Amino acid sequence: MTISPKDVRGVSRTVLVLTIGAVAALHGQNEMTGKEILQMMTETMNPQQSQAIMRMTIVTTSGQERTFEYRTFSKNGGEKSLMKYLKPRRVMGQAILMLNDADDIWIYFPRTKRIRKLATHAKKQKLEGSDFSYEDMGASNTFIEEYETVRHDDEEKENRQCYTLELTRKPESSAGYSRIMLWVDKEYFVPLVIDYYHDEDIELKEKQLICSDIQLIDGIYTPMRCIMQNKLDDTQTSIEIVEVSYKVDLSDEIFTEMGMQK
Amino acid sequence: MIGLSIMVFIGMMIVGHASTEQLDLYGYFEPQYTGVWHEENYYQFHTNKLRVDLRSDAIEHTELGANVIHTLYCGKKEWTMLDFLPERITSSIPPEMVSLFQFTYRDSFFLDNAYLRLSFDRFALTVGKQQISLGSGYFANPTDAFNVKTALDPTYEQPGHNAIRMDIMLSHRLQLMALYSPIEMDWRNSGKLVRIKIGLGHFDISFLGNEMPHITTDFQEMRATRERRRLFGADVVGELFGLGVWGEGVYRFPEDDGDEDFYEFILGTDYTFESGLYSMLEYHHNSLGKSDYRQYDLNDWMRFFTGEARTISRDQLYAFAQYPATDLIVVGSSVVVSGSDRSTVIVPTVQYNPFENIDFTLMLNLYLGDEGKVYSSRLGNGGFLRCRMYF
Repeated sequence: MTISPKDVRGVSRTVLVLTIGAVAALHGQNEMTGKEILQMMTETMNPQQSQAIMRMTIVTTSGQERTFEYRTFSKNGGEKSLMKYLKPRRVMGQAILMLNDADDIWIYFPRTKRIRKLATHAKKQKLEGSDFSYEDMGASNTFIEEYETVRHDDEEKENRQCYTLELTRKPESSAGYSRIMLWVDKEYFVPLVIDYYHDEDIELKEKQLICSDIQLIDGIYTPMRCIMQNKLDDTQTSIEIVEVSYKVDLSDEIFTEMGMQK
Repeated sequence: MIGLSIMVFIGMMIVGHASTEQLDLYGYFEPQYTGVWHEENYYQFHTNKLRVDLRSDAIEHTELGANVIHTLYCGKKEWTMLDFLPERITSSIPPEMVSLFQFTYRDSFFLDNAYLRLSFDRFALTVGKQQISLGSGYFANPTDAFNVKTALDPTYEQPGHNAIRMDIMLSHRLQLMALYSPIEMDWRNSGKLVRIKIGLGHFDISFLGNEMPHITTDFQEMRATRERRRLFGADVVGELFGLGVWGEGVYRFPEDDGDEDFYEFILGTDYTFESGLYSMLEYHHNSLGKSDYRQYDLNDWMRFFTGEARTISRDQLYAFAQYPATDLIVVGSSVVVSGSDRSTVIVPTVQYNPFENIDFTLMLNLYLGDEGKVYSSRLGNGGFLRCRMYF
């Protein structure tokens, strides 16, 4: 039997989760550092593989609702992801491929059959006018790699006991938020509330994400509904999971330019 | 080949009839009002365009796609191209030839695309009338011998082309594309293209070679000649120092002594600011263009108007900025400057999305150049209001 680098990576992740789990059990969860909690949360939120249909609803400044539905595929703990729009007609067939934790982004336009590669600065752009940016949607490990983590006193949020984490952007990072406050459910390791602070003002709260309706699906705790509120524009966008499966075997060919066009 | 497209279309209708739940019917209706001030006169011109798309993937690994376009014209439908040309050129045209430069917009109904696509994990074959989009440039695509973009509205969709196209994924980021576009069933004069695309780090790099027929019209004699052009080119897109960067270019390889060699390239960069302001800059050079506007002749102008030539002037700078003013309104502007004659056109745009499947686009064109220059005010200032309703 041969072991590929991919297998090694998968094994490493499993070992890491087990190690952190063991640490938590031995020393009690209160002994966990902010970094360990963040690692657990990232693992929970980015399963090895997933396939889902999502519904995104944007509430505009005029109070109207815009609904988008898309199919998503994700592999390697979110390192590769593909979104294909199903609704509305205006964007149907449009696909967004994100590789290397959204450091490489391609967009496919079905009417012109054109594929455009976007530079990383495009991650700051809003996704179809929603309150989510490409960075919010695509990057699985941004919190770990781009921010320093500090754990504060536990707090109650959304009627659940939560770990409180403060993430401060590393000096060399180009991530889109200067600071992030995270409240992570102590039982499920799912973020319940995330406050995003403005890129240039560490005190100015720009957006707030609230996750709810946590269900156990294929052995993974999954928030079925998340709402992103833009505090500056007074708009909000919700994402609901219509269906999701983690027990899938996705081929690498899905995450290619040819895969976008299928 | 047209017969093949129609067969694909009919096949699609049959498949769709047999399995209506797997036949997708969609498209858009697009009325557009255009107004132009020209020589102290105001002209209005109106189009109603209906595009209907059909798509079926009833059979595994198979996609049938087609669309028809019906366009109705009203308002000023009859135009004379000479009205837009410098007087020093029009004055040299004999009166008996003037009528040859008149044209009329006629209502049209045509099959724009009709193709069959077989696709597997690492291989795809597309046969029929299909969209072909090549190159990374926004304002122009030198590597795309099939389409010519308009400077004012470069992202508008292009017509389909008859072709047989094969895509092979050799490895994760190594892709080969071969395309044959038959013309009069003559292999020598038909279009052929081979492209290999490689992913290196954050860059996508393509190398291509093509052999395409090119029609050149002598508008003094009203005679068209067809020549074969063999082009070699490359295309690169990626990121440097946080900026998006791209470039593409071609060189015409002369086969015979009489062949004119030329080269054309475009270089571009873009950046999105924290505020959401998107900005882009492109430089385009076409050695077939002229560096002195006093040398622009009738053929240059007419070849530019008819799409036979991509540009008249040799060097052009294209700048574009776009900003989401609200969640429903995007404002922007592009500026095209001819480096060869220093003329400029400014194109402000407003896009408004009041309802889920309805878009409005307001686009103005303000030509600031002097008489005889490529972006001369003689081309007529004005703009259009376009609504697009998707169904």
